[in-house]
Amino acid sequence: MENEKLLNLKNAALKEIGDANSVDSLNAVRNTYLSKKSELSSLTSQIGQLPPEERKSFGAALTEVRVAITTAIEEKMTYLKNKELEEKLAKEQIDISLPGISYEPGGRDPFYVIQDEMIEIFLGMGFEVADGPEVEKDLYNFELLNIPKDHPARDMQDTFYINDNELLRTHTSPVQARTMEAKKGAPIRIICPGKTYRRDDDDATHSHQFAQIEGLVIDKGINIGHLKATLELFAKKMFGEKREIRLRSSYFPFTEPSVEVDINCANCGGKGCNMCKGTGYIEILGAGMVHPNVLKMNGYDPEEYSGFAFGVGIDRMAVLRYGIDDIRKLYTNDVRFLKQFKKMS
Amino acid sequence: MLVSLKNVSQYVSLEGLTPEDIANKLTFAGVEVEEIVKLASGTNLVIGEVKECVAHPNSDHLHVLKVDLGPKYGVTQIVCGAPNARAGLKVIVARVGAKLPQIEIKDGVIRGEASHGMCCSLLELGVDAKYLSDYQKAGIEELPSDAPVGEEDVLGYLGLDDVVLNLSVLANRPDLLSIFNVAREIGALYNRKVTLPKVELKEDFKTKLVVGSATNRCSQFSAKEIRGIVTKASPKWMSEYLMAMGVRSINNIVDIGNYVMLMTGQPLHMYDADKLAEAKLTAQDDYEGDFVALDEKTYKVIKGDIVIACKNKPMCLGGVMGSLACAVDENTKNIYIESASFDGASIRHTSNRLGLSSESSQRFVKGTNHFQSEYVLNYAAKLINELCDAKENSNNIVYQGEEHKEKIIKSSVKRINDRLGTEFKESEIVDVLTRLNFEVKDTKDGFEVKVPDYRLDVTCDADLSEEVIRLLGLEHVKSILPCLDTKVGMLSLKQQRLKNIRHYLLSQGLDECLTYSLVSKKKQNDFNLLHNEEHYVILNPLTDEREVFRTHILASLLGAASYNVARQNKNLALFETSNMISKQSRSEHLAIVLVGQDIRQGQLVKENYNFFHMKGLVEGLFTILGIEPTRYRFERFVDANHELHPGKAANIIFQNKKIGVLGELHPNQIDKYDLGKTNAVVLEMDVEALLDAKVSETKMSPISKFPSVSRDLAFVLDANIAAGDIVRAVKKVGGSYVINCEVFDIYQGANIAEGKKSMAISVTYRKDDATLTEKEVSDAEEKIKFELSRNFKAEIRS
Repeated sequence: MENEKLLNLKNAALKEIGDANSVDSLNAVRNTYLSKKSELSSLTSQIGQLPPEERKSFGAALTEVRVAITTAIEEKMTYLKNKELEEKLAKEQIDISLPGISYEPGGRDPFYVIQDEMIEIFLGMGFEVADGPEVEKDLYNFELLNIPKDHPARDMQDTFYINDNELLRTHTSPVQARTMEAKKGAPIRIICPGKTYRRDDDDATHSHQFAQIEGLVIDKGINIGHLKATLELFAKKMFGEKREIRLRSSYFPFTEPSVEVDINCANCGGKGCNMCKGTGYIEILGAGMVHPNVLKMNGYDPEEYSGFAFGVGIDRMAVLRYGIDDIRKLYTNDVRFLKQFKKMS
Repeated sequence: MLVSLKNVSQYVSLEGLTPEDIANKLTFAGVEVEEIVKLASGTNLVIGEVKECVAHPNSDHLHVLKVDLGPKYGVTQIVCGAPNARAGLKVIVARVGAKLPQIEIKDGVIRGEASHGMCCSLLELGVDAKYLSDYQKAGIEELPSDAPVGEEDVLGYLGLDDVVLNLSVLANRPDLLSIFNVAREIGALYNRKVTLPKVELKEDFKTKLVVGSATNRCSQFSAKEIRGIVTKASPKWMSEYLMAMGVRSINNIVDIGNYVMLMTGQPLHMYDADKLAEAKLTAQDDYEGDFVALDEKTYKVIKGDIVIACKNKPMCLGGVMGSLACAVDENTKNIYIESASFDGASIRHTSNRLGLSSESSQRFVKGTNHFQSEYVLNYAAKLINELCDAKENSNNIVYQGEEHKEKIIKSSVKRINDRLGTEFKESEIVDVLTRLNFEVKDTKDGFEVKVPDYRLDVTCDADLSEEVIRLLGLEHVKSILPCLDTKVGMLSLKQQRLKNIRHYLLSQGLDECLTYSLVSKKKQNDFNLLHNEEHYVILNPLTDEREVFRTHILASLLGAASYNVARQNKNLALFETSNMISKQSRSEHLAIVLVGQDIRQGQLVKENYNFFHMKGLVEGLFTILGIEPTRYRFERFVDANHELHPGKAANIIFQNKKIGVLGELHPNQIDKYDLGKTNAVVLEMDVEALLDAKVSETKMSPISKFPSVSRDLAFVLDANIAAGDIVRAVKKVGGSYVINCEVFDIYQGANIAEGKKSMAISVTYRKDDATLTEKEVSDAEEKIKFELSRNFKAEIRS
């Protein structure tokens, strides 16, 4: 009879466990069947009143029922907790189509992209980076570069003056003279990036402020072949391996011979198109062998040393590389423009 | 410099060469051809005569013409709209199939009348409108009555069958401002014979004129007298030629002056001999006073200007402009022609000062051949005899202030090849130099070269190497990478640090800007945050917007921000680094502008930029440079100029010097820069000291194996006590156990007395070599409480 009671108790408990649908209701079931005040506990405390021969089997039956109920509750509890967690997580669903929190890098004015890249190229060839002041002495900007006062070449470069002796440098070439002065006759291999100024009205292709990278190599036995190879390497790194350069005779007061360097047009490959005005080539820089007078004036013996120099317009490189239609865009800083240049190279 | 190929071909054969060939060859030899201009063009042209002209039945302005095109094409009907169409007129007819610059002529019917061609104006043949009269532009061209009907070489008949090259003559080649020298250049490039006019002139009388120079600025002064001239219009060939050269035809005398200058490069001046007070002209540079020029305007002449004076009165502003007093006019009978050499610098000063730049003055400025005057005078005289019916030529009188020295340059095949990186043979080099009219003579150790007088640019053997390479072609130069000492190509520490700063800010999402260094005075004065250094002012600015060399970036960067805000780009994080230069110093600056909301955010969570965003960037910047927080500090910024928010700004102090200022922008500045209803936080910093700062190598410090303990402390104190001072004090008195102290709450308001604030801090304690005991922590905490109560009058709440 007692066993039958136990069986009923177990069945009732298992049913209630089965019916429990929340952690709270399951805890209530646990309380009903397993607490000290539960029927199972009171049955357990009554064991002593049973005849000794029944005690053992009844005790075993009691234990079996308790284990069964406990196990069922634990299993159900795990199930319910998981279910409730899943339900909670399901309610936390987010809209994954919203954009990420921004960890974008800033945009760069393409001027800097080009400048940094050009510096890298020449650093790779063992050049050092030199610099000089933007407010420059006439001496360095002109005189020591074989452009004495009243030299007609001064008219090629309309100059912003501060006074008779000071001006805004019209090119980065004064750094040539400054470097030669500092190196006192030792070999030189430098580039100098920097801002330059000319008294030009701003329009789509002219800017009163622009920038150049000056290059200067002085050593024994330097010739135009070295200039050509160095600039060829530069042009290929800058504009792609398929680019070829060609030299044209030109004139700068501080180099002799002087050349203009063209690359074959990337757009048409040299056949001639709008971009290269039908010529197949685009002018990218001016260069030449350092004029013996310049070497002499700056403390180098032209019988012993020779050198080459070049000047590349940074703005011009940016305009060519990115197809920028108006140079003023480089100085306007519209963030919609700047943010187009985030790619790291 | 405009060069007519028809003209050049008189002196050197251009047979078999297209204008494009010549342009290309010149360009590669360093004489850039900017443009190839055909004066006029058109196919299927013929000269016709209008036989009949009747009004078109269906039009109020068209005519129906019967035009005789000569025996080959007969009479044809053409509908014509020109107002000057009439019977008897000789006209240019473009037949069916003709290709004109703008159109192609087709057979057609115009309002019911057949039209088999078109009568043309010169405009329709592509002649530049500036050379045409309004009458010529309004109707068809009226040919002279003797024009040959049926002639098909119409452009040849008109003298318009020419191609003009526009040469960009660089400063080293002023000799190319002469057609004769261009012919020599082309002759050298193609190795063709050049034949220039030989001028032999009979001397009819000796002139009484005396010329001289009282200044070394006129090194040569030659003249010739010609009697019995007649001033009139130039012949057709002359006026047509000058038109092609972009020079207006005036009269025979003026035109000859211009023509000779174009041919020889030597500017001339003509004086009416009968208007001079005496037959003596002297160049001088000490005249001061008024000068009435040919253009009837009065100019102030100062010392240093070269004048040609007669009885101490200026008759000509040398190389710039003649005087009205002795100008050649229609009544002139006898003239003096002047061919002189003036100092380019003087001419440059005078012509720039007076705004009188001309073809003549430009030639003097760039440099002329000082040793060809007699040839030039004779050449001019010959033309004057031919075109001005002149009767008698005088001898040439010459003042030569400088000795004619031959220019000899020593060089060798090796020296030339060494410079060029080429392997030219001696014969090749000699051939090139000879073609260029250099006389080459072998010597023991190479050769000597005599340079022709007109090649002012060739002075040393580097110049010879250029002549060789530009004629033989730069394609002969082999590419050889220089074999130099191996060096590690790298940036200097300073350059690398600047790059690191830029890349740090980029990685934080800030956009890197580029603004102009020249700003207006007003913008320069908008901020005076850092130092009181004197800025440079441009002597000759283009506009007052670009008048001052800035000493700070901030105003420019705010300008960029303003530009963006006006274009609905409202949330901005901008920076720029730039080299600043003032009369006192030169240093690298950094400016940052943050506007609107933090760009580093999600779409749903937004926060306005404030002081602490900027402060965080500055702290990060010090961190990446390896500068410990103990080496710099922020001090409250005291603003007298309403530049920044008085309560939300700080100075950055490094090595006991103020190197930067950061803060929220003063509302007045926000208005001034049209930033709208927004907030902006700005920074201007002189980073030079940071780039130079000594920084120790990083050494690893061990991480403690023992646990740390955190205790919170809340207290009330005077509202004006800075949290930073509390933190510093806690760290100081807490001793080595205190490894961190953070403020986690500040409260003012209900339950806190006016002028007070409640602050809560969290202090972390740890010992490096053992676990802290409860007593050690409590002792340290007591010391902190004592310090706060005593020195900060803090009332401890827990």
